[in-house]
This record gives sequence, C-alpha cells and structure tokens, in this order.
Amino acid sequence: MKKIIDKIPLKLIFLFLLLGIFLMLFVKNDAFLYRQPIVRIDSAQLLHKNKITDSFQNEDTSYNQKLVGTVLNGKYKNKKVTINNSYSDSQAMDKKYKKGQQAFVIIHKNPNLNVTIKDYKRDVPIVFVLFLAISLMVIFLKMSGITAIGSIVVNTLLFILALLLNNHGNGAGVVIIFSILAIVFSTVTLTMILGFSRQMWITLCSTLACTFASVLIGLAVFSVTHEKGIFYESMQYVTQSPRPLFLAGTLIGSLGAVMDESTDIISSLFTLKNEHPQISKKQIFKSGQNIGKSIMGPLVNVLFFIFMGETLPMAILFLKNGNSWGYSFSMNMSLGMVQSLISAIGIVLAVPVSSLLTSIFIKEGGNK
Amino acid sequence: MSSIALLGIILLILMVLVGGWQGFNSFISLLLNFGFLFLSIVLISFHLSPLFVTLVVGTILLSLTIFLSGVNDETGKLAFYSSLLVLCILVILIIPIEYWSQVQGFGLEDSDDLEGMSLMIGINFVKISIATAVLSTLGAIAEATMAIASGLGEIKEQHPDISSKRLLFDGFFIGKQIIGTTLNTLFFGLFGGMLALFIWFFGLNYSFGNILNDKVFNAEFIIILFSLIGVIISIPITSVVIAHNWKNKHI
Repeated sequence: MKKIIDKIPLKLIFLFLLLGIFLMLFVKNDAFLYRQPIVRIDSAQLLHKNKITDSFQNEDTSYNQKLVGTVLNGKYKNKKVTINNSYSDSQAMDKKYKKGQQAFVIIHKNPNLNVTIKDYKRDVPIVFVLFLAISLMVIFLKMSGITAIGSIVVNTLLFILALLLNNHGNGAGVVIIFSILAIVFSTVTLTMILGFSRQMWITLCSTLACTFASVLIGLAVFSVTHEKGIFYESMQYVTQSPRPLFLAGTLIGSLGAVMDESTDIISSLFTLKNEHPQISKKQIFKSGQNIGKSIMGPLVNVLFFIFMGETLPMAILFLKNGNSWGYSFSMNMSLGMVQSLISAIGIVLAVPVSSLLTSIFIKEGGNK
Repeated sequence: MSSIALLGIILLILMVLVGGWQGFNSFISLLLNFGFLFLSIVLISFHLSPLFVTLVVGTILLSLTIFLSGVNDETGKLAFYSSLLVLCILVILIIPIEYWSQVQGFGLEDSDDLEGMSLMIGINFVKISIATAVLSTLGAIAEATMAIASGLGEIKEQHPDISSKRLLFDGFFIGKQIIGTTLNTLFFGLFGGMLALFIWFFGLNYSFGNILNDKVFNAEFIIILFSLIGVIISIPITSVVIAHNWKNKHI
C-alpha cells in the first residue's frame, strides 16, 4: 500500500491546485478585460410573485426582484445601480440573481442611469471545468495526456481557420471546405499519435474511406427516399443554406469516431503481428473483425448520446406546449438521429475496411 | 419509406454482416437506448423528478450498452460496476456545476425557434440540464470502462498468474492508449454537432469573451468536458476495481 501512495504525484497535484486557485481568482476579477459593462450584485430583494397558468395548463410562478449592484468596469466603474429582474420557477431564459453574482448589463444613459440585465457572467465555472479536465488528464496520464491536449489545440485552430474560410466565402463551399478540413484533421491527428509510419498511413486511409463512404451512403438514402422525414427547417442557428451545413457537420462529427475505431483495430493488429510474425493475412483479417465487432457497439453509442442528448430541453418544451410525441420527435430529434445513424454506418464500415487494409499492407516480418 | 428507417435498415444489415449475432445485439442496444432516452423525456415532461429519472434510466442504459456488446460475463460485470462508480462521481460533479454555470434552458440564439412557445412550463430547467448532461456522458463512460475491462480481461487470460499490482499498471497503460482517440471522438462530435452555431458566432463577429460566456455554447461544451472527465476517471477506477477483484480471487 505504501508504494502506491509513493506513486501518487503529490507535487504535481499541489502545483495544479495552486495554479487553479490563481486562475480562478484571476477569472473572477477579469471584468477589466471586457468591453461590455459588468455589474456585481450587492443585494437582492424579492418584490412580488405571481402564479401563472399558460394556455396548456402549465403552472408556474413568476417573480420580480430588485437588485442593487456595483458596476465593475468601463465608464461607470464603481457606480451603484438598481436593476429590476424578473424570473420564473422554470428559469428557461431568465434566472434568479443572488448576492455576489456577476452579470453583463446594458446601460441606457437617458433619462438617468437605467440598467437592464443581459446575461449571467459564467466564465468562472466554465474555466473551472476546463481546468479540472486538463489537470486530471495531465496528473493521471502524464505525457499521453499532454500529447492528446496538444492535438486538440491544433485541431481547434484548424477548425477556426476553416470557419474563417467559410465565412469569407459566405458559406458557398461549406461541404468542400469541411471535406478538406476532415482530411487535414485526420492527417495531423494521426501523425501526432503514430508518427509517419506505415501504421499511420493505413489508419488514415481507413478513416477517410469510411467517413466519406458513410456520408455518400447517407446521400444515396436521401435521394432514394426524397429526404422524407428529414426536417431541415428544424435545424437550429442556421445562417446559411441548411442542407450542406448539415452534411458538413455530419462529416466532421463522424470523423473522430471512425478514426477512433480504425486506430484501435489497426494498432491491435500491428501488436499481434509483432508478437506472432508468422501470422497469415487471412488470420489478421479475422482477428481485426473480432476486435472491431466488440468495440463498434459502444462507440456507436458514444456519438448517439452526444447527438441526441442535446435535444432534451427543446423536446421537453415541445411536449409541454401541447405537441404530439411524433411532432416533438420530428422537429427536435430527427436530424440528430440521422447524424447518429450515418456516423454509426461509418463506424461499422471501419471494421472490415481497416482489417482488410492492414492484412494487405502490413509488412512481412511485422516491423513498424 | 422515411430516410431514418432506411438508414436504420442499412445499419442493421451492416452490423449483422460485420458482427453476426454480436452486431445484431449492438443494433438492438442502440434501439433500446433510443427508446429509454425518449421515455425519460416523456417522464420528465410528466413532472417526475429529472434527477430520479436520469439515475434510473442511466443505470439501465449503462447495463444495456455493456451487456449487449458481447463481452463475457465476468468482464461485463466488472465494467458495469466500474461504470456505476464513475457515474456516481460524475453526478456529484455535474449537479453543483450546472447550478453554478447556469447554462439551463435556452439562450438568445434560440429566440427564433421559441417564437410562440410558452416557456413557463413549471419544470426547473436547471434540473433538466443536469439530466441532459448525465445522459449525454453515458456513452463515453460505457465505452471507456469496457475498453479497459476487456483489455485487462485479455491479459488475465493470457497470464493467469499475473499480480494485481501489475494489472493495475496495465490498466493505466491501456488508458493512455485510448485517451487520445477518445478525446478526438468527443471533440469532433462537438465540432460536427454544433457546426451551425460556430458559423453563427463567426458570422456575427462574437468576441472570445462573448463565446466564453455564451449559454448555448457552454451548455454543450461542459457536457463534452464532463464526458472527458468521465473517460479520464474511468481509467483509475476500472483498473482498481479489476485489480482488487483479482487480488481477492487469488488469495
């Protein structure tokens, strides 16, 4: 037992704890970095409350509160202001403010300092969760964690570049831009994980072939069924033509999972070949199938829960607004479902494709 | 026929061709997962406590995903126990952070979609956001615990007299291998699933500060971070559970 305790990297944990405290203190007091005025609530007082029943017999309570706060930045710094805020029990788009919380506000000059609340300042909790994830990754996984974080940082920068390009062309070539991005993403990521090796090239080919094949299968299905049951008008936050946007999103969304599956299968097969150099091509293909079929199910579910989970609040709102189950599903979950299914097809295709590619292209003798 | 039905049939055929019975089971598990997810939406809209619904449905979904994936009983059982432990720790983390970050419900970007809808539905959206976060992380938890449990299962089979300490070390080694690609699955899922929103941010010139405080983005972003934390803590938890079980068996 003592040995295990010795292995716990106490110094590293202490370092991250210290770093974390400084970071939180900084973010809590970073109002000077923002151009929008920020107010710290000094006191909150409930004025009155009202029972409300809407046209669908939903019962709720609305509240009015009087907030007194101090402006933390900009022209009106240190000025005391009074704000009226209303909120409900549901808090779908409003929220109850408490003493000590900070919020972005809009200050109207006329007739005299009139302040309305815009949104809660939530950078402290967000930075906290992000920092927690990064610390855990470095503490538990050391170098592998740092490499993984590095590859995400690089990919995020590439993603931003693609968004800039898309914005520049007003969304005309969104599918092409994100197809190229998919190729760059996977090349960069796999090079970072595997280096320039035969294994990396096989994984790259498998990843790209299966991702694009799954989207093409999706397109074929769309044209056979005339996109019945797909409601592009239900897509949220759309600022450009929704159909290509949806395709581009599906492509990027399934890429990571297909890469995950291909990497797992191919690296297991390379290890196998190293341990048993005499293994035949046919056996390699068969082992690949065996490894792949047990991991494809869970991986399909990872994306399913991510794509479908986010639809929960809106689906509940639809149901509570008197819509049928079918309509609530179509308007909120059908696109996520299509995305999940297309990426699932890509993940399943990766099993035979990566097994086949490895069995053909792996070097005799089994060296990387 | 609707596109979803045809895509589903193609997926079923492919899964059976590739995985035989096991593939068929994976498809059934996906169908059941959808059924239970939809059921939890309906139950929450009937005013059942979102947290209670999530914990019950979450446990069912984890067991479905793990036991229908075709691992052997022993490995499946250990993976399931580990995933429950991970789920408990995550829930304890998710509840205060959802209250703290206040990313519930809808943001200003949703205004168009909400036109004509009543938001006063009498269900606390913070609780719904907790349910959403917990349910969204289930897939990642199940995948990570299973990957480590089946990897260690293989090692136990090949080296029946391995020490439990060595097993613990191997668990971390497997974890280091899966973390890089799992991170990609999660983040590319985020990029792809929220592409429209990111384009909106760029089109309307959101600043870094705007995005860092944006309700809609952060609701999704912290879910990805929760999933990531779930995957990371799955590594020590699953390794310890399996090593402990191994030690008890061999003394």
